This record gives sequence, C-alpha cells and structure tokens, in this order.
Amino acid sequence: MQRTLIHELEKIVGRSGVLSSAEDLLLYEYDGSVEEARPDVIVFPRGKQDVLEIVRLANRYDVSIVGRGAGTGLSGGALARQGGIVVAFSRMNHILEIDAENQRAVVEPGVVNLDLSRATEKHGLYFAPDPSSQKSCTIGGNVSENSGGPHTLAYGVTSNHVTGLKLVLPDGEVLQLGGRTMETPGYDLTGLMIGSEGTFALVTEITVRLLRLPEDVRTLLAIYDSLEDATDSVVDITARGIIPAACEMLDGWTLRAVEAYVHAGFPLDSAAVLLMEVEGVREAVEAQAAEITEVCGRHHAREVRRARDSRERALLWKGRKEAFGAVGRVSPSYYVLDGVIPRTKLTPTLVRIEEISKHYGLVIGNIFHAGDGNLHPLILFDHRDPKQFQGARDAGAEIMQLCVDMGGTLTGEHGVGMEKNELMPLMFNEADLDLMRKVRAAFNPIGRLNPGKVLPLGKGCGETRLQPFPQSAGAT
Amino acid sequence: MSQVAVSLASRLGELVGSGRVLADSASLAAYEVDGRRPSAALLPGSVTEVAEILRFASAERLAVVSVGGKTHLHIGMPPHRYDLALDLSGMNRVLAYEPRDLTLGVEAGITYADLDRLLLEKGQFLPLAPPFPERATLGGIVAAGADTPFRYAHGTARDFLLGVEFVTGEGVASKSGSRVVKNVTGYDLHKFLIGSLGTLAVITRLNFRTFPLLPAQRMFVATFADQSGAFALCRALMKSPLQPRILDMLDPGTAGLFAGRGAGFLRGDSWSVVVEAAGHEAVLERHERDLAAMSREAHTAEFMALEDAQRQQLFDCLCEFSPIAFGATSTATIFRIAALPSSMPTLLTEARKLAERHALDCAILIRALSVVYLAILPPAGPTMFPELISCSRELMTQCMASQAAPMIERCPLQIKQAVGIWPPAGSEHEIAQRLKAVFDPQCILSPGRFRGGI
Repeated sequence: MQRTLIHELEKIVGRSGVLSSAEDLLLYEYDGSVEEARPDVIVFPRGKQDVLEIVRLANRYDVSIVGRGAGTGLSGGALARQGGIVVAFSRMNHILEIDAENQRAVVEPGVVNLDLSRATEKHGLYFAPDPSSQKSCTIGGNVSENSGGPHTLAYGVTSNHVTGLKLVLPDGEVLQLGGRTMETPGYDLTGLMIGSEGTFALVTEITVRLLRLPEDVRTLLAIYDSLEDATDSVVDITARGIIPAACEMLDGWTLRAVEAYVHAGFPLDSAAVLLMEVEGVREAVEAQAAEITEVCGRHHAREVRRARDSRERALLWKGRKEAFGAVGRVSPSYYVLDGVIPRTKLTPTLVRIEEISKHYGLVIGNIFHAGDGNLHPLILFDHRDPKQFQGARDAGAEIMQLCVDMGGTLTGEHGVGMEKNELMPLMFNEADLDLMRKVRAAFNPIGRLNPGKVLPLGKGCGETRLQPFPQSAGAT
Repeated sequence: MSQVAVSLASRLGELVGSGRVLADSASLAAYEVDGRRPSAALLPGSVTEVAEILRFASAERLAVVSVGGKTHLHIGMPPHRYDLALDLSGMNRVLAYEPRDLTLGVEAGITYADLDRLLLEKGQFLPLAPPFPERATLGGIVAAGADTPFRYAHGTARDFLLGVEFVTGEGVASKSGSRVVKNVTGYDLHKFLIGSLGTLAVITRLNFRTFPLLPAQRMFVATFADQSGAFALCRALMKSPLQPRILDMLDPGTAGLFAGRGAGFLRGDSWSVVVEAAGHEAVLERHERDLAAMSREAHTAEFMALEDAQRQQLFDCLCEFSPIAFGATSTATIFRIAALPSSMPTLLTEARKLAERHALDCAILIRALSVVYLAILPPAGPTMFPELISCSRELMTQCMASQAAPMIERCPLQIKQAVGIWPPAGSEHEIAQRLKAVFDPQCILSPGRFRGGI
C-alpha cells in the first residue's frame, strides 16, 4: 500500500485511526469463518464525513474498500479478498437516538447488537434480531448480512426491523433510503440493500424499530433418546399452530461438548435436546408451554424441563449461544456450515449428514434453529492435516448440495460472502446470477466495494477467481 | 379493428394462441387504465409464454401493463404508453403447498379467495386480506404493495414473502429468494418487486410463509368523543404487553361510511378504535379485560366486544376502506400516508382543518399506527375539482413537512394530472432509474406509472 495513501488516511481520521503494520494487518485477515484474506490498511472512521472522505480517497487511488463491523461474520464477508482498505466501523458506535414513543432507534453501524437492547430495556423495548454473536456483532454487520438468530423464528430477520438507512455509495454519493416510517413511497431500496453483504454501499446510519419486551417467557428443554423423535416434535409443534419464539436443537455429540464447557444441565446420555421458548401475553405463554410439553411427550421425550427462573433460562441459552466456543475446545479446527431445509425434511437430512460424516471420517456435530430448518452442521478437522482439510471442504460442499436438493437454500443467516459464492449456481442459473450482477453494478459499477463476494467470480468487474478454502478454526 | 391492430393481434396469436388474444373493443374496455385502452390483451398460460410476449414487446417497443384481478389498477400515474395488457389471471395454480412446513408456492394469477379456501382446510391463512378477494390476485396484491388489516401483528407481504419468480422487461425468466422460511442467499430482489406496480418485472410465481389460524378471535371497539381519547388508548396499548392482531382507528367520517355498509353498530359522531385479539379463550378474556380498563382510562364513550356477525361486517369494511370511500363518491381522493404514531394527532388535526377550509368532507382510517388513509370526499362531478386539487397539493406539502411519507392511492384522473400521486423524487431517484434500466432496459413495463416518472 502506498505510503501516501496511508498518510492521507491519517489526515482524515488521525494517526491512531489507521493500522498498517504487518502484525496489525494479520489480525484483520480473519473473521468468524474459515476464510482468510489480508487487507493493506485498516481505517477507523469516526463519522459519516470520514467515511465519505475515505471513499473519495479510495477512488483517487483506485483501491478497493471493504466494510467491517466486529468481524464475527461466518462467510468471509468482511475480509479484504483483494486487499485494499478495510473500513472498520468500531468507532462509529453511538446510539444517536432512542425514540421510545415511536419504538425507533437511530444508530451508527458500529453499535453492538446487544448494547442497543440493553440501552432500550429501560423503556421496555428491545432490538429483536439476536445472532449468537450478539454480544459483539454490530448492527451494521447485521444489516449487511441480514442477520437472524434463534428468536427470528417468531420475529423475522434484520430486514424486518430496519426502516431506514443512510449510506455512501462507492462513487461517493450519499443516499438516504427509507426513514423512520414503516414504509416510504417508491421502490423498497432499503429492503434490497439489507443483506447485500457490503457489496452495494457503506452504511453510515441505521434506523431500526424496537419491539416491546414480552410480559412472560417460558424456556423449555425437551430431552430425547432419539433424534428422530426430536425432529418430529418440531414439525408437530408448528403444525399445531404454535410458533415458538425460538426452537433450537442440539444433537447428542454437540450437547455433550457443550455440557463439558458450559454446564448448562444438558443430560449427557441423550440423543438430542430441544431448547424452546414461548413468550408474549402470560395466558398465551402458559397455554403454549402446556401444549408443547404434551406434543414432546407424545413424541417420546424422556423429560421436558422448564427453566424455573431467569438464571436457569440464561444458563440454558448460554449452552446454545456458546456452543461453537465449546466445540473449539475439543477440536483444533471446525467448519461451521449454514444451510436451510424445509423443517419436514429434518430427519432424512440429518441421517444423510451422518452418512457424510462417516464417509469422510470426520465428526459432524449438529446444532441448529430447528423451528425454521436452519442447520449449522459443525465439521471437526485438523487444519494441519491436508487430507482432513480437503475432507472438511468436500463434506461441507456435499451438505450444501444436500440442503438445496431437499428444497432448501445455501445460507439462512451467515451470508454467501467468499465462502459460498462459487456454490451459488446450485440455486441460481446464469440468468439469475447475471441479473444480480447487473443490480450490484447499479450501485457498485466497477466492483470497488467488497470485491469477490456473493456472486461467482470469473465474470465481470475485473474480479479474479480465488480459491476459497477452509483453513483454520474460529467462529463465534 | 384497424389494419395495424389486426396485424398485431395476428402476431400475438402466434405467441399464445389466437384464443388467448383479445383485441375487440368490448373486451379491451375492461383493461383500461386511467382511461387508456390497450391495443390487445393477452392471457398467457405459462412462464414461457410470458417471456415470449415480453421479448416480442421489448423488440417492438410495445408498452405492457401486467394485470391480475384489476382491483388495484387505479394505483399509479397514467401509463405514458399502453399497448398490451398482460393478463395473468389464467396462471392460477397452486404449485406447492406444504402445510407442515407452513410454506406455499402459487402462480401469480390465483385469487386470494381461492387460496384462502385452500389454506382454511388446513387451518392456515395468509394475512393479506385484500379488498375484492374473489378477484384480487396474489401477484397483483404484491405488485401493488397492498396493505392489510393484519398489519399490526403480521406486517405486510414484505414480512412473509419468501421468494418470487418473474420475467424481466427483456423477457428473461429469473428468480429471487427461496421456498423455505429462512434464506439470505443472493440479493433480495423479491422485496424490491413488492409495490413496484409492475414497472420492473412481471411476477409469475410467489412463495409465501403461511400462518396457523388461532383457536378463536374477538374484535373490540372503543368509541371516543374526540381523537385525543382514541390516541390515548392506542398509546396505552402500545405500552402494554397485549399483542392484538388488528389495531385500526376510524374517524367519525369513516365510522359513518362503515355504518352505512353493514357495521351499523358504529357511531358516525365518534372516533373508534378497533382491536382484534386471537388465541385461546384465556387470551381473549385477558385482552377484553385490559382493553376495557385502558379504554375507561382514556374516557371511552362505549366499549364493545363484537358478536361474530358484527365482527365479520367490520372486518370486511376494514379490508375495503378504499372501495367504500370510492363508492361514496367517484371523485374520492385517497391518500396513503406513512407516519409515526407521535406525529399522527397533529397530522390529522391539520388535515381535517385543511379539508374544512376547502369545504370538503373527509374520512380517515389509521392502520396499525403506521399508515393514515385519508379520503377527501367531494361531491361527485367536476365542480369541486379546483378545491380538490388545491387541498391535495397542500396536504402533500403538509405531510412532507411533518416527516410523513404520502402518496395518493386513488383519485380522479384530473387530480393525477394536476397534482401527481407521488411526492417529488428524492436522492434515491438516480439509483432507482439505474435499477429500472437493469430490469427493463427498453422501458416497456408500465412506463411512467411509478415515482419520478419511472
């Protein structure tokens, strides 16, 4: 990277706002995925004007730009695949306004997801999307990835909770999309922008809607001796018209790894557990909890426990949300997959994943949002063993193909990024991809912004085909 | 038919079969948009035919308006050009329905009523509830960005449309989204098509998440002498743990209109807050108890739990506010104004004063504390057009000054021509134009109907 560019970046954000030493760059070549790519420089804007000036500078020097929140993403979305400038939003972390009366908040993109809910709690409000990394992931990152989380079964993903965006296009144009109202006349550009994985624009301000905290919450843990009984319970619960706020499943291998780390109270000898939550008006919650207990019993649940207090509830959720970390203790590396299937196909899909596990001789743990069929198989491998490397990669691709064959999709919440862009043809034909390329080009015509993401390489925008490859552990 | 029209009909007949090309004036009258009549209407039976028609139209630069049940064609500016109506009503199959997955895939031309009957058999529903459900098609409802009385609990189509298949203005069949309830693969082009009035692509298939019907529902109405009491109840409800599925507010004008359409229990001299809860009996009782208490606190004149028949009458009225207002006077000018709850009382007060200054009646429905539907109701005929034009212009300006987002959903052609239905294009206009060019480079899809002349 040219010294003059670095010097000019320092003039915009100050010397402490730019990192360019080799050891600093090393820290930014990762996110939460198994991908790696080293940027040339990291810059920390303090506000919209800084972002605008950085974008103008990147244009003058003809270098690419990649936005980054907390780096917890799981598909390499925040990695500088072709080098260039990483714009890290961690200093733009101010909650600009909480409008409790209208249930809105205006935030900078670097605000940590959970911090917003903590700040609005005193008004009885919260921000619904709750990725497992919510203690550290940013709302800007959530917007880029259209993040979900366990509770999105009932409340939807990020796009259901964002009403307006301010952003800077890669050519330096500043735009306001949407606003505070629930709709604005004209095309839904806000809806199109969310989930564009940082390939359309850099978001500098986000208006979100906040939900009222529920009056009552019941957290249930159903314990099974058979995985099939657990998956059948999920299908039956939703078929009965109950939409739990969350419905998570851990298979036997995963729950044992988690229990050894978190001590959440998961029974070590079970084949699967379902962690479910119902919330809302007290009377509805009571009725739904009773019905869920009955359905689980009918499907041979060995036991259905209810969290007795908020401490027990927090512990059960800790077991779920820190599961990836628990797996990191027992394997040198792991590869977190993210695919979606129709929930009625859970059983055959898990059976097939078990076959794939045996075929490659790699342990695959399953932890997932069962209610919406969003799977997160965890493939354990040792990155120092090239054969295991390749096996993990091939097994992952087979599982993704399986999800699509089952009528599902390549990603439910982690995004495509640079992990799955070459798998996009499994779901989309060339005409579909070509249209997406043109849509991206309407915002980002020369591919300056986040090159090498979402769409297959080798066509357009001067992007070069790189080889995505799982290399090391790391996930939130 | 002119020679040119005969020749065109014959060429179109090669694309879809002559039996599915309408070119006689009696048939074409049904496809008029703002008084403009196409040269032909085509009824394709497959995506392939839709694509062939659009490729032909693109090559010949023929302007195409896609049409379903013709229940929302009044939305939008008059098309700059209008050569062909593309009638999707024959593409009305259910392509996939997995009740246990709560997912559904349908062709765009299926009507809401047909679909609703199918879902009802499985104890499910799609919370769209459009006016004229026997005619309104799913493709049309989505393309029109239609609202729903279930908005308070379920949002709009944006919140439960999983994916679409569509054909671009160049005749290229494409898709976005998926058929499962959660997906972030690729760009969300399907969200972009919602409310685009057919200016970007012709939707051919829609995938939805369906919702289970709850065991029972109960609708409540609290009436108030003035709007402050009605808003006080709404504010209390927003702060409460209650989770109703409908929350609409009616001004005396709307209550009067609805009373004349079967909901005779409404009082035309009062403001009414309509709330519906759904769930087990204990849930309904809780809502009734708490709502009654909140209404008393807000000085309600009367709090009612409706009988089933009354509930149905009022629900139908809530679905059909726009046609009911239009039925009251054919010169009705109906604004759709997105606003924040805190700004609504002032917005309403000022809007009512404005109408009064112009000696015009008005009727207001506030949906889910998100959108104000304000119908200005002049006497039928052109006598009051100057006042109507002036009032509409001022209201548009007033809304924008108060950070609300207005558009005119329905009005006479003269008002469209004089006032326009959209607010002036904003900073996003250039990107909107670029995207229009991506989907429809020859600008053949409903040209001129959208915001900013797109």
